[in-house]
Amino acid sequence: MRVRAPLAALPYTSPMNEQPASSHIGRVIGTDPATPLEFWVAVREGCFLQLDDVLVLERRLPGSDGPVRIYGMVADLRARHEGARFDSDVFLIEAGVLPAQVTEAARVLATRFEPEIYVAPVPGDAVHRARGDARDQALFFDGMKHRIPVGLSRDGEIVHANMEFLDGTRGAHVNISGISGVATKTSYAIFLLHSIFTSGRLGRGAHNTRALIFNVKGEDLLFLDRDNRNLDGEQRDRYAALGLPAQAFRSVELWAPPRRGDASAAPRTGSRAEGVTSFFWTLDEFCRDELLPFLFADADDERQQYTIVVHNVTARLRREARPLDDGGVRIGSDTCRTFEQLIDAIRDRVEDPETQQDWAGRAIGGGTINAFVRRLYAARKDAEHLVRADVPNPAKHRLQFQEQVAVVDIAKLSRRAQRFVVGVVLRRTFRQKEETGSRKPLLFVVLDELNKYAPREGRSPIKEILLDIAERGRSLGVILIGAQQTASEVERRIIANSSLRVVGRLDIAEAGRPEYAFLPPAHRQRATISKPGTMILSQPELPVPLVLEFPFPAWATRPDEAGGPGGGEGEEGGGDPFAGLEGE
Amino acid sequence: MRRVQGLAIEGWSPEYGTAVEGDPEEAPAAQVDAGSEVPDGEWRPLDPRPGAWVPARVDFVDGVRRVEARVWITGEDGDARPGICASYAAGVVSCERKAVIRSLKVGRGFFGLAGIQDLVTRSGTFRASPVAEDDVQQLMNGLQERMGQLEVEVAAVGAPAPDPDSLVVLDGPLRGRQRIAGAIGYVKSHRVQYLPAGPRGVVASLGPGQRTPVFLIQTTWTRFSWYMRLTEAEGHPWAGIVRCEAWTESGLDRVRRIADATAAALPGFASEPHKDDRAPQNLYPIAGLERELRHRLGDPGMVYRALQRAIFDFHTSDSPP
Repeated sequence: MRVRAPLAALPYTSPMNEQPASSHIGRVIGTDPATPLEFWVAVREGCFLQLDDVLVLERRLPGSDGPVRIYGMVADLRARHEGARFDSDVFLIEAGVLPAQVTEAARVLATRFEPEIYVAPVPGDAVHRARGDARDQALFFDGMKHRIPVGLSRDGEIVHANMEFLDGTRGAHVNISGISGVATKTSYAIFLLHSIFTSGRLGRGAHNTRALIFNVKGEDLLFLDRDNRNLDGEQRDRYAALGLPAQAFRSVELWAPPRRGDASAAPRTGSRAEGVTSFFWTLDEFCRDELLPFLFADADDERQQYTIVVHNVTARLRREARPLDDGGVRIGSDTCRTFEQLIDAIRDRVEDPETQQDWAGRAIGGGTINAFVRRLYAARKDAEHLVRADVPNPAKHRLQFQEQVAVVDIAKLSRRAQRFVVGVVLRRTFRQKEETGSRKPLLFVVLDELNKYAPREGRSPIKEILLDIAERGRSLGVILIGAQQTASEVERRIIANSSLRVVGRLDIAEAGRPEYAFLPPAHRQRATISKPGTMILSQPELPVPLVLEFPFPAWATRPDEAGGPGGGEGEEGGGDPFAGLEGE
Repeated sequence: MRRVQGLAIEGWSPEYGTAVEGDPEEAPAAQVDAGSEVPDGEWRPLDPRPGAWVPARVDFVDGVRRVEARVWITGEDGDARPGICASYAAGVVSCERKAVIRSLKVGRGFFGLAGIQDLVTRSGTFRASPVAEDDVQQLMNGLQERMGQLEVEVAAVGAPAPDPDSLVVLDGPLRGRQRIAGAIGYVKSHRVQYLPAGPRGVVASLGPGQRTPVFLIQTTWTRFSWYMRLTEAEGHPWAGIVRCEAWTESGLDRVRRIADATAAALPGFASEPHKDDRAPQNLYPIAGLERELRHRLGDPGMVYRALQRAIFDFHTSDSPP
């Protein structure tokens, strides 16, 4: 926590000194009880308040020099007729027959007490809008030494997040929930990266900080290095308001799986061909790095008998596969250059009574071996183009990240292949970070559909890695920016370890689940009507989540938006800026 | 002049905390001339004449009063005399496009024989308001008079000069001395029968929005009056009937014009039985105004405790209030 000066030494500058005394926007009402954490404010005639407005009031305490400043945020508003007793009175009032008064009141959730004396505001206390420094104090922005802009509030002010809760100093990881299509989860994750990279808060480490992004759906993320031609002046202004450049990512590399049946392993992408490199693993890497378990979704599940065979075969491959120059392997007398040849060789050995004990393990029943072989062959179609040694110069296709942002496209892969790629890539990057032993430079990993990779139930190799990242990544500088439709279906520990929680549009039933207990009821309700581009962000220092908007991507998300490479000027476009974000 | 030596609150009295409703007693012995507008024998229900004046604005003036405590005042001679502490309020609601309460005043009075002083409490100062006789009726009349004065004051704030396009309606009968310029009295209940049998039948046969001819009432002072029916009401033949009063100074022609205007305008303000016990006669704007006025009198329990406290202080402090 921030070191606070003792009460007497606190330089007292009233936030209201900036404004004339008559600038109060309303007063605390006494007809509803005022509590330290929640109170109602009647809005003065001729003024208005909207949700998320930040307010401040002062209460003088007997025997104390300075007042207690209570900061809060509008969580709800109500307007009603005073003097009306029946619903139909509204018609009489509007017809000019019955006298009545319209009153408006705002429910305020307290965010901060300065100094920390938790008293209730007194009915009648004048309430002011918190602007400038007062607003920063209300939202704890003043105590954030390293802060990054994470969006704009409804009234156009910058919303900050504390970088210390992102870079591992005091916390790490971001978790984003929301319905596909309207929640713009990936867009927000990429916007966060943009802010992290370009807001200048990373200091010396900025150049070495990297991001690894998995593109799980469509081709939205294959144009990150291209400016968005549809970015209009209004959106540019919003970037300017945030203090961020409205430009694409400067340093991007794109990886895609190879085309099936293509002898030269050309990358399989739709609309983007140039600048994309295909990736696969050689049979040698597959054996040496023990990648076999990643082909099996439940390879760590102890209830499954065949998993012992998986682990025995993996160990055998590592020991007995001799590398060939072109990435192939020789196992005994068998030379393998394709995945099929490799699994044939494995099958021979686990089924042959002479080698069975070494390869499958002791006292393994025929049924168990059959189960393993069946699964192995089921994986053939998914993995044969990703694990191979039939392409010249395989080193070129080895996933090695050089640029600041690496996008790995797995959208067109089967579920099994997706899990394989994500699992293998994450394990390798995590191990590399482990070996360096230092937190910096940071590596950000963006992964959507966490529920697929780290479901709440069951165990799998990839879930173990994600848990490892969630629990140890903070100290190793591996920061997970994970997203999913429904947080209730994702492993609890992954969500629990995320410092920043972000919620876009939620399904009504989902919003009621305990995973979203950090949202006050009004915010939960709002999450069910959030528009694309609106997110609710909860961060550790703030007791109240903040509703924010983020600008339309400055980078292209589809071919027709793609302008020049990062930094070029785009043409102006119109219409709904989020209209194109359906295929998230 | 007598000096007040002691004050005490009567422990309990039935009128505490209840706003006094209804109009003050109407003079029973009145002389009536039914032939002012139409000869006595030709009485019939009248519709507003075609092209009759419809006021652009209707102002309703009303007051409420509430006895907060009945007190006993002990003078130097040791004789205890009764008095009352009461709150009263008056206001104007203007119905033009919207119904707006344009002015509102609250007063608090301490009514008793001469010699009483202001009573300062946490809920405001009860101004000494001497009355000549201290029987209950005179004390209440004193209160009524204060409220009437306040009604005149608020009406003057609301409309400093009579507006030819507006109709000013005072809830209750007109009173001889407290005059609101151009106002008519609006009487909801019919405790006194002013009309002889023939014209009385005409009242019962009125349709909604119809009125009787204007007639003259003379008690200690003279005024014009007429009956009208607000709405078709169930029950007895006089349900939905109200009586209006106007000062004779206006002249019969103007009073006929006003009478037509009331028949045209007032039914629009009539209340419905499910919203008001005194429907339809208790007009919506007046009911709304009264609710606000009673609200402004403050919480009766709070005022009562403030009075108890003030009287306790009166006895414990050296100098009388």
